Amino acid sequence: MQQALDLRQNKYSEVSQEEKDRLFQECKDDERWHHILYGCYECGICVAACPSAKFYDFSPRLIAQSVAREDTDAIYTLMNDSVWDCSQCFSCDRCPRGNSPGQIITVMREVAVKNGLQTAKQALEGYGRIIYKIMSTGSQVSPDMLQPNAFPDWGHHVNEIADNLEVWRRALPPETLHTTETGWKVSEKTIIELYLIWHMTGVMDLIQGIDDGLHMILVDVMEERLEEAGYDIEFD
Amino acid sequence: MIHLPVVKANERVFKITPEEAPTHDLRDELFQLEKEGELEVIRVPEPYMEVKTKYGRTKKIPLEKTWHHKSCGQCGHIPGYSTSIFWLNRAFGLDYYDPTDQTSCTAWNYYASATSNPEAQAAVAIRNFASAHEVGYFPLIHCGTSFGHYKEVRHALVHQHDLRRKVRDIMKKLGKKLVIPEEIVHYSEWVLAMRDRIAERQVIDMSHITATVHPACHYHKLIEEDAVYESEIYGAQRTAIVTASLQALGINVADYSSWFDCCGFGFRHILVSRDFSRSFSVQRKIEVMKEEANPDIVVTHDTGCVTTLDQSQVAGKAHNMKVGLPVMADSQVAALAMGAHPYKVLQLHWHNTDNKPFLRKLGIDVDKKWAEFQAECDLIKAGKKEYLTWEDAEK
Amino acid sequence: MANENVLIIGGGAAGIEAAKGVSAMGYKAILVEKRDRLGGTPDEEKYAALTPDLRNTTEAFAELMAPIVDNPLVDIHYNTLITGAEGELGNFTIKALQLGKEVEFNVGSVIIATGFKHFDPGRETQKYAYYELDDVITLTDAEKMLSQHKFVRPSNGEEPKRICFIQCVGSRDRRLGNEYCSKVCCGISSKQSIEIKKLLPDCKVYIFYIDMRMYGYWENEIYWPAQEEYKVNYIKGMATEIVKKGDKVLVKGEDTTFRRPMEVEMDMVILAVGMEPSEGTKQMAKIFGVNQNKYGFIETTGGCLDTVSTNVPGVFAAGATTGPADLEDSVSAGAMAAIKALTAIRSLAVPA
Repeated sequence: MQQALDLRQNKYSEVSQEEKDRLFQECKDDERWHHILYGCYECGICVAACPSAKFYDFSPRLIAQSVAREDTDAIYTLMNDSVWDCSQCFSCDRCPRGNSPGQIITVMREVAVKNGLQTAKQALEGYGRIIYKIMSTGSQVSPDMLQPNAFPDWGHHVNEIADNLEVWRRALPPETLHTTETGWKVSEKTIIELYLIWHMTGVMDLIQGIDDGLHMILVDVMEERLEEAGYDIEFD
Repeated sequence: MIHLPVVKANERVFKITPEEAPTHDLRDELFQLEKEGELEVIRVPEPYMEVKTKYGRTKKIPLEKTWHHKSCGQCGHIPGYSTSIFWLNRAFGLDYYDPTDQTSCTAWNYYASATSNPEAQAAVAIRNFASAHEVGYFPLIHCGTSFGHYKEVRHALVHQHDLRRKVRDIMKKLGKKLVIPEEIVHYSEWVLAMRDRIAERQVIDMSHITATVHPACHYHKLIEEDAVYESEIYGAQRTAIVTASLQALGINVADYSSWFDCCGFGFRHILVSRDFSRSFSVQRKIEVMKEEANPDIVVTHDTGCVTTLDQSQVAGKAHNMKVGLPVMADSQVAALAMGAHPYKVLQLHWHNTDNKPFLRKLGIDVDKKWAEFQAECDLIKAGKKEYLTWEDAEK
Repeated sequence: MANENVLIIGGGAAGIEAAKGVSAMGYKAILVEKRDRLGGTPDEEKYAALTPDLRNTTEAFAELMAPIVDNPLVDIHYNTLITGAEGELGNFTIKALQLGKEVEFNVGSVIIATGFKHFDPGRETQKYAYYELDDVITLTDAEKMLSQHKFVRPSNGEEPKRICFIQCVGSRDRRLGNEYCSKVCCGISSKQSIEIKKLLPDCKVYIFYIDMRMYGYWENEIYWPAQEEYKVNYIKGMATEIVKKGDKVLVKGEDTTFRRPMEVEMDMVILAVGMEPSEGTKQMAKIFGVNQNKYGFIETTGGCLDTVSTNVPGVFAAGATTGPADLEDSVSAGAMAAIKALTAIRSLAVPA
């Protein structure tokens, strides 16, 4: 959040208490909850170790205290305005109470994504290509993503790579790296297994929640591949 | 000089007492679950080396029969990193496996977007482990994030029986077993275990080189106890990873006051909140390193860290900040020390910050080496050869 | 006929007070001490002044132990380590090693007063660099200097201009397994702050804390004077890292009042290390079959109503042997243990 975080104003007062309580309950129902949140004595070690706290008006201590107090107004505000600032480095795992503010945030993010919160969709704008890449290739980044418009602040060097991509990828000794559209050569069977995992665990539904268009493309592409590979699977 | 009753730090000796370890040894619980038929443990094959971890326990590092769990960011953007790891294995004639039946760990996506859940993450991990087990090799993890994430997954599977049940069912549908490795091993631990053997074959003197080390957050901050700590390195107060490997090559490892700081990768930030990543890494890491240690090179052991520290310096330079430190992985430095080609093997042309001064300082004829690489590229362009092979890389 | 001697293991404050109580009641106390002198940890670590009244430690302990030195009812055995025990209340046979020689004692009851050891900062969850930086020291290091009426930077022998204390080192930490509070460190740090300010009035002194544990009169005798008269700065917020920066050290924490991460340069840092059971306490628990709590301290069975009885009849524990304790706790428990140890023996003489 580039602006100041002030939990004293009840920013999302238009959202019902039931809804805020329901979302918090989802967090508490997570199997991880009881060993990532104990109590908080506001020592500030998490903030001291946190890289995001040095750059944003972000405080893992504020988040841990808010969930420990079960203050659902504060929690709802943080779930919308604060959790996406976290760098997920887990320096805050140094918490002497045994809390993991980083994992608390991971759970809050999952709840935000699962419930299709608008702020989650906004935070993940421009991120769809990564999800598409994983699903269609089995790796999260590929050589052909090194384009100047994707990484403008990486300078002229990216242009040089983009211009020489095909040749430079062939000039790599490892067999599996002779690719441009994927990080490494992934077998068809492997990609299908990944897709099946994402279907069986509900990840495809999560994707539909944040980006319906992306979901449609993925389902089309993957169902075609499933058919070609001879799978006869019904998804409900 | 006043005679003080307080001794200086170099006379204070820290004794690690494994009996006082505050956590249970997860491996005991793992083997217990195997006995109860809950899962199967992939054992570390011989030959292996033993290293010490934070509370003085031993960890087995397999030297051979490793299944290389590749890194997306390495293979996608800094392929010399993966290449150097394979090169080291080949240089020692070790039997290794480079799979196509491997997916990304998907942890970058998970930490960036939370568009996943613990079952999916665990299933992806186990699917990869099962794939390794099916061909009879032991997983060696290339990426720091994958490593940290897989440690978390293993911990969760051991302690949450509901999760275990769900994952076992998913694996069954894929025709696989629930298998978990005895140790989650990072390739930099392999480099550390091999450091004396690497030093024996060192052909480039690096005793006049100063390096700063950046330890990956996900290596030593997640499941802290399972990181390498040695009494001779930092008095076992910080992880010995990378530092030990560089010191074995005669490199002078210099300290700096933001050693423990994250690099600023942020997972999500490096893609969509880029001002954070480039500002943090330049201001909190690179500038501090330059100011306090003025190293010839920055060495780290994770994909995201290499990427962030290397690429962010462009923006820093544009703002006239004190940048210009080349960034490499420990495996690349080790391979270079053993005489690997800077372009055919280390593939340094994929790195951004200028590393030529560093190479020249080592006495390497950069122009000649680049010409050799270009010659291979010309052959490829002209359609005279399809690929640059391992044999070509040795010429 | 029950043996009426009382064995007291450990010559610290609790042990000395117990020996005093036993002998004052006319019974024989056998006081066994592993070192060659009495005084326990305060003597071994050369504590300067006591908390909260700043009384000189050596002088206070001399007063404490005066009644038992040259006392015909107190046999003090120095350089002696207990190695085994057999028997029961009224008839214990104790084996010990005294300067390499095996000796034996017969006693009716036992008081374990083997106390505590200071937490080793190398095991701390946070990155305090005690084993890397000269100018990071512990409370005991500071006490040694203060005993000599000195306070200088170990790195260069110069007087510091800015120093800080970091509280709760090795205590209140679930990751370490030491969830408890060590009780005395807040008071000791405040006391040391006052001593340092007296020596070096121009030195700025900070204390980084989570909570200030100032029980009872410590609040008005130590905490308020430290803040009000000596201008010690108490900052609510903990530190996570200490690193070298030039010739100073850099402390990284959060100042929770201003809700921001802070990085401050210091000339010296004093780690307020907590208490853990001593090796002696752990050994004696095994030898006598006495229950220990999950932290390794000897467990007492009476809750708040009895701070000395253990699960073994005739065996008692006093002072920091049972958990974090200040001097007041230790001498009180020592006296209580003496009474209970004698009552236990005397109860055997009462006809059924």
